[in-house]
Amino acid sequence: MQRPETRTPQTRSIVRLVLAMLLSAVALQAAAMQIDYDEKRAASLRKCDEPLYHGQTVEARACFQALMRATTDPLIQAESAWALGDLRGANELFRQAVAASDSAVLPRVRWGRMFLDAGQNGDALRLFQEALQISPRDVGARLAMARATLEQFNGDLAEQLPALLAENDSLVEAHLIAARAAIEDGKLDEAGKAAQRALALAQQQKRPPLEAQGLLAAIEVIRNRDPREWTEAALRYNPRYGDMFVSLGYFEIIRRRYREADVWLRRAVEVQPESSAAQRELGLNLMRLGNMAEARTHLVKAYEGDPFSTTTVNTLRLLDSLEQFEITRVTQPPLNLQLNKSESAAMLPYVEQLARDSVATFSKHYGYAPTQPITVEIYPNHDDFAVRTAGLPGIGLLGVTFGNVVAMDSPSGRKSGDFHWGSTMWHEMAHVFTLSVTGNRVPRWLSEGLSVYEEWTSGPTPGVAVTPPVLDTFIAGKLLPIARLDEGFLRPSYENQVQISYQQAGLACLFAEQRFGFAKVVEFLRAFNDDPTTAQAIRAVFKVEPEQFDREFDAFMKQRFAAYLADPKRWTELMARAHRLLEARNWAAARDAAQAAIQALPEFTESGSAYEVLATAEHEAGNDAAAIAGLEQWRKAGGWDPATTRQLGALLAAAGNKARAAEVLASVNYSDPLSAAGHDKLGDLLLANGKGGDALREYQVLLALQPLDTAAAQFGLARAYRQTGDTARARRSLLESLDTAPNYRPAQKLLLEMTGDRPP
Amino acid sequence: MSRALLLLAATLACAAAQGATQVLVVSGLGGEPQYDEQFQQWSQGVAKASTTATGDAARVVQLSGSAVTREALEQQLRKAAEQLKAGDQFVLVLLGHGSFDGTEYRFNIPGPDITGSQILALLDRIPESVAQLLVVATSTSGAVADRWAKANRVVITATRNGGERNAVRFGGYWVEALSSDEADRDKDGAVTAQEAYDFAVRKVGDAFKSDAAIVSEHAKIVGADPARFVVARLGQAALFASDAQLIALRDQQAGIERRLAEVRTLKGQLSQDQYYDRLEPVLVDLARLGERVDSRLAALGVKDTGAAHATP
Repeated sequence: MQRPETRTPQTRSIVRLVLAMLLSAVALQAAAMQIDYDEKRAASLRKCDEPLYHGQTVEARACFQALMRATTDPLIQAESAWALGDLRGANELFRQAVAASDSAVLPRVRWGRMFLDAGQNGDALRLFQEALQISPRDVGARLAMARATLEQFNGDLAEQLPALLAENDSLVEAHLIAARAAIEDGKLDEAGKAAQRALALAQQQKRPPLEAQGLLAAIEVIRNRDPREWTEAALRYNPRYGDMFVSLGYFEIIRRRYREADVWLRRAVEVQPESSAAQRELGLNLMRLGNMAEARTHLVKAYEGDPFSTTTVNTLRLLDSLEQFEITRVTQPPLNLQLNKSESAAMLPYVEQLARDSVATFSKHYGYAPTQPITVEIYPNHDDFAVRTAGLPGIGLLGVTFGNVVAMDSPSGRKSGDFHWGSTMWHEMAHVFTLSVTGNRVPRWLSEGLSVYEEWTSGPTPGVAVTPPVLDTFIAGKLLPIARLDEGFLRPSYENQVQISYQQAGLACLFAEQRFGFAKVVEFLRAFNDDPTTAQAIRAVFKVEPEQFDREFDAFMKQRFAAYLADPKRWTELMARAHRLLEARNWAAARDAAQAAIQALPEFTESGSAYEVLATAEHEAGNDAAAIAGLEQWRKAGGWDPATTRQLGALLAAAGNKARAAEVLASVNYSDPLSAAGHDKLGDLLLANGKGGDALREYQVLLALQPLDTAAAQFGLARAYRQTGDTARARRSLLESLDTAPNYRPAQKLLLEMTGDRPP
Repeated sequence: MSRALLLLAATLACAAAQGATQVLVVSGLGGEPQYDEQFQQWSQGVAKASTTATGDAARVVQLSGSAVTREALEQQLRKAAEQLKAGDQFVLVLLGHGSFDGTEYRFNIPGPDITGSQILALLDRIPESVAQLLVVATSTSGAVADRWAKANRVVITATRNGGERNAVRFGGYWVEALSSDEADRDKDGAVTAQEAYDFAVRKVGDAFKSDAAIVSEHAKIVGADPARFVVARLGQAALFASDAQLIALRDQQAGIERRLAEVRTLKGQLSQDQYYDRLEPVLVDLARLGERVDSRLAALGVKDTGAAHATP
């Protein structure tokens, strides 16, 4: 479960790549032993393949070594070096093979295959494209490209595979690719047929049946049936075929069933302990389960076997860096809160409170109380979070949930206002519950949809925040039917579709709640315990056909967003006009345009929203009450930008509404908690409202942020202690303040009050 | 007596007691309207704060806009060299853009730029008995930090070397420090060069952090005891030097502060509880004195006595 960045088009496009990266980080390992089904493979290589495919590694090595010595063909030497694990040597030999002929396709395809196997997809794609330029119809090159497309989750297989199979239905690998893609799309019948066809063809062509058997085993596992028939058959063919169990683990992981994946990955290591891929995948999955110590053991073994794996190296470095973190254990509810020592004191009060609130809220919503601790890990360094998530730096996600483990970015690693860490955490915590109550069987769209729904309705930024691209996609008729919404997350077919799918899923849940009631939505969620398809669950719980659901959702959208949908260009024009008039300091006209834009799309609360224009225009016109009303409306609609929220807090305080000002400013802690200035002001307001306990938290956080003005912070702390009745600590804090600033007049006055020299 | 008169009286007393402080504030060429406006505002902020610090507007010279020429700058520095005497202080604040070609720093002004070497030659004419505070809030200013260093000088630059070429934020935060209670960490009503520097450095760091931007400037301070330069006075601190009763109270305050200093020397030897038990009665005495000061200020017509105050 992932929470993507939402701020910019650029980051949205990253999300799509990242989704592929997250899954392909595992997917690559599913094919760790490369089986070449191509009939053009040299007979001399096939002779050595035989013992390799049967798990006779000693014999296979001897064969490939002898072949290396016996041949002068650089392509055969390259293949042999690759089979022997000498990737550098193989790389050089492939280079020679390619250099030998400008028009040779096979060396380019095979070299690209090696890159694909090593996770260097860019190089692989370049070589496949080169091969296809030489020979656009070459079957080997097209198959390689289809395999790359499958592994990267970033292209459309729907055209590539049927074309290949229409030309030649006996291509084993084409059926294997089709089977795997179908499994990932949840089309198990289709997958079964393709895998059976691949198996029959492999046997007929005397190729290893291993991959086909592995896929058939995976289908059985996903159907909650015993895969033994296929696993035993595969192990009879190759007793050391650990890759099959890595593959089974992969299919569990992409369904977020990390505990189940653990079982298969342990089998992989048991069957093939020398497999670095198996050791690595087991280590990575143990990290998802929060078992860092055992994870390290397996990752070290993976490193010993393959020191060039970027994922292994990055993850081991991350594990080393965990010494910089401290874990706070909460018993009721069970929570492990892992924060970097540099910001733990400042972040912990808010993280703990939000975690407690989310557990209380979601336990009530979903009728489930967690028994195992939920671990929340917050990373100040985005690359650490990325490595934790995908084994690679540079991903565009904000938070990820692995079962009971939530990992996310810290606000310290990002620009103020860039993301709302509180909403991200709320979103991820909702996943913990929707995954738990369904034994991780909830479809991706529903888990994301409910997380978005919870953000909108119960989270720290309540308000249905919807952006124009979603509505424009709706107008274009490109929102997916509910039964196929998962495809929008797993195999996006247009720019920003993942992001659009998040909001569509949230809107679908909002519609379902309004149409059928929240109790029915929970019943719908729980129905997935029995592994139905989305269509089946809709029929069983909502008692409507999926097509009817889609029609009613369509009507819901048209009603809810009627103003925008009536004329989408008008909203854009109104926004531009409002900003233009504001710049021209025409306050009254800017206000009118902003109000019209709000009416057209009240759900738009992002930076530069019409609410902000309205508030600025009203403030500049001297009407602070109206400015406050505009910003309150903005918050109610889901607005949270810290600078604008602080502006609202200041306006409220200036208007004498200290209680509301404190409430508003307190909300900034969930978007921008690490700015020292805010805590001082909030503490002061809370003291004025008689909320000494809350003020105490603010001054403690302020001191944890090591402010420049420690005397003022200690003075605030003294006042807060005093208000909570802790006179001893109040005295100590006050004396510490005066030790720094002996002539600090307000602190002096309090000292005289406390020593009885002066009446309060 | 009006507050203005009180301030004037304070200035005279202050000048007589401690030697004079001469301030020269120069805002350079912005190159773009937004920078021109920004440097002008910063310059005004420094000039205003310097007037509170020196107590005499006549001791603050502000050069900005078309008035900033190499000749005008040279003339002001020559004048300072002629007028300042032993025990006086000289403060030079340069705000704007700078450049560095690997050898020579240049402060960008209308007409020919003035080089770091030319400024240094003029500064060297000022008697060594005059303490100098040189604040160079420009890009590449770090190039002069060590070159200008001298026993009687404190040099503050917005960058750590001549390679940090982006327009700097330091100047803006330096100006903010001059009117900030937060910058006045010991709450004595006076912002020292050290306090202003610490404030600006912290705010620059926070600003880059908040923007998640790569930090493109790192301020530098060279020279001993920057706290001896008061760059701004807040609240009513200046009044202490103008009224006989306040002067008497100031003397008493100094006595209590000496007791305070004695207790502080024991901090490493005593347990925390013992230390604060020893500290508290001294602080109470100081607070009681503060009450008397407040009463006197109220009698003098100063309405808000809640702000910090202390010996100038």
